[in-house]
Amino acid sequence: MKKRKSMNHKDRTFLLMILPIVAIFFLFNTLPLIRGAVYSFTNYKGYGSYDWVGIRNYIDLFTDIRVGKSYLFTFKYAVSGMILVNVISIMLALALTAKIRIKSTLRGIYFLPNILGGLIVGYIFSFIFTYIIPSIGTALNIGWMQNSILASERYAWIGVLIVGVWQAVAMNTIIYISGLQTIPAEIYEAGMIDGAGAWKTFSSLTLPMLMPFVSINLVVSTKNMLMVFDQIVSLTKGGPAQSTESISYLIYRNGMGGGQFGFQSANAVIFFIVIVAISLCQMWMTNKREEQL
Amino acid sequence: MKYKLWQKCTAAAGVLTLLCMQGCTGGPAENEKIQVELVQYKPEAVAAFEEIEHRFNEEHQNIELTISSPNEAATVLKTRFIRGDYPDIIGIGGDMDYANFLDAEMFMDISDWEGLDAIKPVYREMDKALELIPKDGVYAVPYAANCSGILYNKEMFTEHGWEIPKTWSEFIALCEQIQSEGIQPLYAGYKDTWTCYGPWNALAVGLADPDVCEDVSAGKTTFSAEYAETAEKMKLLLQYTEPNPYAYGYNDACTAFARGQSAMYVIGSFAIAQILSANPEMNIGAFTFPANEDESDNILTSGIDLQFSVMKDCENKAAVYAVLDFLNRDDIIQIYLDNQIAVSCKNSGMEIHQQLSEMKPYLDSERVSDFHDHHYPSEMSVDAMIQTYLIDTAENSAEKFLKSFDENWIRYNRDLIRRMNERKEGAEQ
Repeated sequence: MKKRKSMNHKDRTFLLMILPIVAIFFLFNTLPLIRGAVYSFTNYKGYGSYDWVGIRNYIDLFTDIRVGKSYLFTFKYAVSGMILVNVISIMLALALTAKIRIKSTLRGIYFLPNILGGLIVGYIFSFIFTYIIPSIGTALNIGWMQNSILASERYAWIGVLIVGVWQAVAMNTIIYISGLQTIPAEIYEAGMIDGAGAWKTFSSLTLPMLMPFVSINLVVSTKNMLMVFDQIVSLTKGGPAQSTESISYLIYRNGMGGGQFGFQSANAVIFFIVIVAISLCQMWMTNKREEQL
Repeated sequence: MKYKLWQKCTAAAGVLTLLCMQGCTGGPAENEKIQVELVQYKPEAVAAFEEIEHRFNEEHQNIELTISSPNEAATVLKTRFIRGDYPDIIGIGGDMDYANFLDAEMFMDISDWEGLDAIKPVYREMDKALELIPKDGVYAVPYAANCSGILYNKEMFTEHGWEIPKTWSEFIALCEQIQSEGIQPLYAGYKDTWTCYGPWNALAVGLADPDVCEDVSAGKTTFSAEYAETAEKMKLLLQYTEPNPYAYGYNDACTAFARGQSAMYVIGSFAIAQILSANPEMNIGAFTFPANEDESDNILTSGIDLQFSVMKDCENKAAVYAVLDFLNRDDIIQIYLDNQIAVSCKNSGMEIHQQLSEMKPYLDSERVSDFHDHHYPSEMSVDAMIQTYLIDTAENSAEKFLKSFDENWIRYNRDLIRRMNERKEGAEQ
């Protein structure tokens, strides 16, 4: 017991290093979160006076069609996005770790979308979807290409998804590349001796060894996809016919712009719980599958 | 002689400190001016306000006016209000933001300011109508108004001999005529949902009661009854716009109209500046939307685009009134009007821009009514609801749209309706 009480010099240094970070995190992250949670029990507009309304906002949340639709859209978007991002970035990572020429240059190019700002990318794609693709469609006489995908109530979300995935793939690819480099060459040799084909090598050797990175990527990409915001602002502003209103866009739009600060705070609290639950669930599921050497 | 680095640094720091101290001590001694801060929400008018600020400070020795014109001023102001940091005067539109700020008791009663008498009564009434719960006193100075109707390509109209329509059937006939000559009658930028308000307001002002929102809140009527014709005619317009208007935004529509891709564009006068920036040579005209079969029923949509309110916490009432006096001088208003192609809210026969000359009779005889959307809570997103309705091809789409309009209205205005009822009960007792 005595040992634990006395802190040695090194521990104290570490503690001193970590304390300011904890303080800053608390000040700029935890405190606003708590304040937001408090406001969720009021009808606060963002200024002026307000009344306590109990759990009315939470009851309203579950009966609000618009909020319901935004959850549906966000989950549809996040699930498809997560699958696409991970499949594409594993394939890209495999290609970019293979022994090919100008590998570093290619890696650089594939990382580019991550450096560009979400809004800029969105506006460029908005132009492509609105003018370039329809004019190609008209020139080649392809029916479905003649109208902007962003103007279609049913397919606009795919347009947003394309941009979101295009941007998200970059970061995940880098994580997978670093993951692939941790796999020792010996196990591939062993696989070769056992006569494993390309698919067998991938499914029985690469993928299980890559599992820790898959779990990181699943959590990161799901979280990012659930928080979709920039793409919505720059591509559709939630339209057409409110079909692409994501949860965070709705929270921002009506909480900040409209007078629903209290109500959207309640929405944010629920959304926070949902994201935490999903992340925990994913970690638990992928943890079980990780292979240790 | 070589100095060491630390010596240079110390010397530099010393000089800087001296400069700072001079600045600090020299500042307040000679500068005992009263500071007045004005924040206005139209960043596009920044050039006009810079000139106004400059001229004010030149003429006034004891007051220093600072005008800022930030982007997204409504958000900037709200964030400042949360911190309890208030400017002296704010310039915003006569819309729901004003109504909500006023409702939160943030403004000073300025009924003792002498300049009020010169303001056109119709715009002062508009501000009164915006009060969620009627209040005593005056809280805003209407400054500039905009008008909404139909902008048209004058050259195209003269070339083809088209006439300005005065009734709804004349308008439809004109659209058919234009279409038959192979030209696009209208252009719409419905991707930016707020542009749906262009035709919507123009129709609603002509066809529905100006107090419709208040009446629905009071339970006297429903939108299903009041807006039926507006909704029907709104959808009819789609036949004369470009195909798939939901693909194009406001900028696209302005540019397309400027390039002569359509003969008309149903939007407010504020778009003229934007259109001229795409085609400075363009000869634009504007006329009142002919929503009715009888010309005398038509009303021009005109609302307060910019008005000034004094914050309640403001300390120097005299200085602030001096600023208001200055802002409302004809020559100062003119600076703003020239910059923004707006209409003055003042009763002093100021000239109207040639682009808006056809709307002049309506303005002069005060046959105007406020934009209906100025009374909609922004979080209800009526513009997006209108867009949804326009996209919906089902036969009962109008019915569905109006029903959800009624239901959402009650939902989003719940607190207000409760307070209105409490007030009514209080009055009855």
